[in-house]
Amino acid sequence: MRELLLLGLLVGVLSWLAAPAVAAAPLSIKVVAEPANVETVLGGRFMITTEITNTGSAPSGEILAHLNVASIEGSVYVDPEDWSPDRSQQLSLQPGESRKLSWDLQAVNAGHFAAYVVVVPFGSTVAGSEELLISPLVNIAVASRSTLTATGALPVVISVPLLLGLASAGVYFGARRRGSDR
Amino acid sequence: MTLRVAPPALGVRQELRAGNGQPGWFVVAEQECRDLWTSGRGLILLFLFSVLLSAVTYLTSTNQALNFLEQRESVNLVLQFAVAVGVLATLVVSADGISGERERGTMETLLVTPVARRSIIIGKLIAALTLWFATFLISIPYVWVLGREVGILGLALALGFCVGTLLAVGLGSIGLLISAACNSNKTSIAASILLLLILFAPTQLPSGLPQGWFFEVLLRANPVASGLAYISALLVEGHSWTQDLSYLITPLLTAIIGAGALIFAGPQLVRLTRGVNAG
Repeated sequence: MRELLLLGLLVGVLSWLAAPAVAAAPLSIKVVAEPANVETVLGGRFMITTEITNTGSAPSGEILAHLNVASIEGSVYVDPEDWSPDRSQQLSLQPGESRKLSWDLQAVNAGHFAAYVVVVPFGSTVAGSEELLISPLVNIAVASRSTLTATGALPVVISVPLLLGLASAGVYFGARRRGSDR
Repeated sequence: MTLRVAPPALGVRQELRAGNGQPGWFVVAEQECRDLWTSGRGLILLFLFSVLLSAVTYLTSTNQALNFLEQRESVNLVLQFAVAVGVLATLVVSADGISGERERGTMETLLVTPVARRSIIIGKLIAALTLWFATFLISIPYVWVLGREVGILGLALALGFCVGTLLAVGLGSIGLLISAACNSNKTSIAASILLLLILFAPTQLPSGLPQGWFFEVLLRANPVASGLAYISALLVEGHSWTQDLSYLITPLLTAIIGAGALIFAGPQLVRLTRGVNAG
């Protein structure tokens, strides 16, 4: 019985000690991204939505959701700035509050990529040791399509000057003939 | 004694148009357009323009290393080239407007027609602008070839038309002002081309050069450079159309001030002076 009382006391003390630690605990945030898979072609525009929910009991404070894109196949160089010019959104959430964030992207490389959103604390009080919260990956498959080729440009490159040359020659010689007839 | 002064004899064109009640500027613009397009001069300029544009487009498209973003840059390159050469052609035609009449000795005939001097100069500006619109139409298939796969065709054409029209109105007006100040066509055209080269010089600086506030001021003070920078910002950097709108201030001011000066000073500009070929 005494052991049980001692154990209860120990649990109580530990709980009391742990209480401040709960208040300073990392944010309890859930990040969901959709759609899970995107299939598009080079140059295609699409949108990813992430839902960020404060599942904890304390306000989140200022947080920053940041979108990133990475190549997950081959050695394609990815500059996320090219995929989306606006990759950061600042927000704060009350306990239980949920916010949907939309991210507009344009596929600027062909290949297999993953997009994800990282939630980081924001502001001057950030210690640097906070935990990062990451959304599930959005799998992006970008099919290449025929880019510009000389063959594709050739009809325009040849036909436009040819037609204009014929038209200007016709008008020029027509004007000269009319002049000589007078 | 009563002295009666007969009105100057009118040409067939003026009599017909006067009877139809057409405004003077319309009559002058129509006649100038006819001179430009039926003489073959305008079409020859268009032909040369298309040859240049074909060469640039072919060189761009033969680059097999083009990727998606570079293709946007190639659209930007060809569009900037089309705007620049189209504006140059407009400037050259407008630079011939007044000094050409003086040099050919046709200014007297023009001045005795029952058309206000202001209408003469407005008509000449409109005729010169038709060359810009024609060069823009010619550039559409080239921009289409380069831009159809990257989804920026509509944006590129709208940008080229708006920025190019602003520049053409501004520089066409300046060309006519220069032409009015010169008695020789050669002087007028040389001065106009020199002006255009000066305006284009900042656009040719290597992008790797350090660009401080002075470069920014130089860029924004220059209507051509700032207009082309606006095109680049939207086409290549993907900015929204409102984000860099300040780049359009100088082209807009040039168009307003140039055209305004031309309209208000028109009666003083269209005057008879001794042309270089006049005996």
